[in-house]
Amino acid sequence: MSKTLKAKAGLWGGYLAVLLLLPQCFDSLLAISILNQMTIAIIFALSYNMLLGQGGMLSFGHAVYFGLGGFLAVHALLLMERGSASFPIVFIPLLGGLTGLLAGVFVGSFSTRKAGTTFAMISLGIGELVAASSLILARFFGGEAGISGDRTFGPPLFGIEFLRDVEIYYLGAGWTFLATLCMYLFTRTPAGRMANAVRDNPERAEFIGYSARWVRFISFCAAGAFAGIAGGLFALNYEFLTDENLNLATSGRVLLMAYIGGLGFFIGPIIGAVLLTLMNFLLSNYTELWLLYLGIVFVLTVLFLPRGCAGFVMMHESAWRRGTLHLLALPYLLTGLPALLFVLAAVCLAELSHATGPTLHYLGLSLARDSALAWAGPALLAAVGWILTARSLPRLREAWERANAAEPERRT
Amino acid sequence: MSILSLRGLRKNFGASEIICGVDLDFEAGEKHAIIGPNGAGKSTLFHLVSGKCAPSAGEIRFRGRAIGGLPPYRINRLGIARSFQVSNIFPRLSVYENIRCALFWTSGCGYSFWRLVDGQGALHDRTEQVLERIGLAGKAQVPAGAIAYSEQRALELGMAVAGDAELVLLDEPVAGMSRSEAENAVELIRKVTAGKTLVLVEHDMNIVFDLAERISVLVYGKIIASGTAEQIRADSRVREAYLGEACHA
Repeated sequence: MSKTLKAKAGLWGGYLAVLLLLPQCFDSLLAISILNQMTIAIIFALSYNMLLGQGGMLSFGHAVYFGLGGFLAVHALLLMERGSASFPIVFIPLLGGLTGLLAGVFVGSFSTRKAGTTFAMISLGIGELVAASSLILARFFGGEAGISGDRTFGPPLFGIEFLRDVEIYYLGAGWTFLATLCMYLFTRTPAGRMANAVRDNPERAEFIGYSARWVRFISFCAAGAFAGIAGGLFALNYEFLTDENLNLATSGRVLLMAYIGGLGFFIGPIIGAVLLTLMNFLLSNYTELWLLYLGIVFVLTVLFLPRGCAGFVMMHESAWRRGTLHLLALPYLLTGLPALLFVLAAVCLAELSHATGPTLHYLGLSLARDSALAWAGPALLAAVGWILTARSLPRLREAWERANAAEPERRT
Repeated sequence: MSILSLRGLRKNFGASEIICGVDLDFEAGEKHAIIGPNGAGKSTLFHLVSGKCAPSAGEIRFRGRAIGGLPPYRINRLGIARSFQVSNIFPRLSVYENIRCALFWTSGCGYSFWRLVDGQGALHDRTEQVLERIGLAGKAQVPAGAIAYSEQRALELGMAVAGDAELVLLDEPVAGMSRSEAENAVELIRKVTAGKTLVLVEHDMNIVFDLAERISVLVYGKIIASGTAEQIRADSRVREAYLGEACHA
């Protein structure tokens, strides 16, 4: 027991250390800006997983709580700017969290009656309703232009005025660590454990003394609160919010993060948040098609890795414990390389057909759009990559079975 | 005084009446079996008592308190636990977690989200005890959806009795088991329901005569006889309506 406790403490210490050391390793302005967005995405995606992964509630409107928390945070900044209030901006995310909590209490009071389709449809309806109202209620939401504040009007905390992005990063990292820890600890409470039970079988939960609705309601409110904290951090970071921050696109993005990362694992949404934020920044600089690629990645995840990236890693746990992981290295390489070739060639074709200029610069090559060779080359490579990948699969499957079947007597 | 009493209990789904006026008393501590042909309404009777559905008319009193139409979780908190005909467990949670969840309410955990469960020694010990009794201690960390069928039945039973409810309702606890598995299950049921009131629905007459002190026969929504095993065996109406044709023992 104490051994696992120590291991867990080590894991959390490592998490905190990574959060604190990241801006030392990546200190460019762009890197800090990416890191800031990552911390926000981590809290948001983890809060979403309280609903879907832990509680079995498929929400299409989780951005509502994120956005409302953010808008209230900007209004708090505006109040400080006018001099009607004054408190250290470190507490702004808390205000966002309270807003998310209140919104969660209100919406949850009727939406958590049922899970499944009913819940999903209500979340979609509320999401659409709030996004539409945000354009109409221009006084609070600022209409299409949104509202902006200034974080520098708060009193300095220990001499820090939060003028620089890196200072906001440390503020965000602190909140991210705290929120992650709280959300993890929540899963270890009776309410959190019963959320899993209700996800698996709401009927049975009722026959061991728990109201499925009340269990869902608690998770829902908590998820709203943490989404609000993420929204508050967003407001501090960008000092600017629009209807885009609470609309269905944002709700969809957080679903993608949690799903691609892996719903069944606490760490899954963190992985998803980091990956998608990176993809967003890196790919969107190079290509206009990045949303297409993201969509394809999502569909492939749903089809082939339903347990997400975290699930993919954890799939290898038993092979790792048996010491047979090395059996997989070569087969993975033999499948991975042609698959990479296929992906690169297919992306090349997609970019060729999308490009507007006469030449496409791709991986250091200049391809003329009107030359047949520029099309035939990638097409040929894609075909070769596809065939080699397909032919390597039986070998990979066989290696997988060998790695997992070896020494069955050591199975528990 | 009887622990559970049904008075004029009726249930209809649309035009079809499944339970048509049942009057029955269950004494504290007795082992009571309800038998009857398929479609007689035995499971529906359980659903009414456990709160899965509300009675159309009549009264259900548990220790003198009217419980008809209360939601299942309220009825469970009063001290009535049940198992299901088809294994009804939390498939993605471990066997250990399944039992621990079943213990939460009676351990006073409530809906708390400010208390951690892993460090609670008493809860852990109780969970281990139940696992030991149902013979699943060795599978504690396996997901409940991945264990064998008869083990899931044992888990189902464990979840029903874990909370120490006074009244335990078992709906066909040995359905789908082999003869030897069923015999083990009967021993297990005897062991875990010692000192409690047990009401069970069962098709297998061997099991019924083995476990129950009293038997009630439900035919087309009505109790046609109620008494000891000998009385039931001797009852001409029962032989006519049920035993003669359906007893496969």
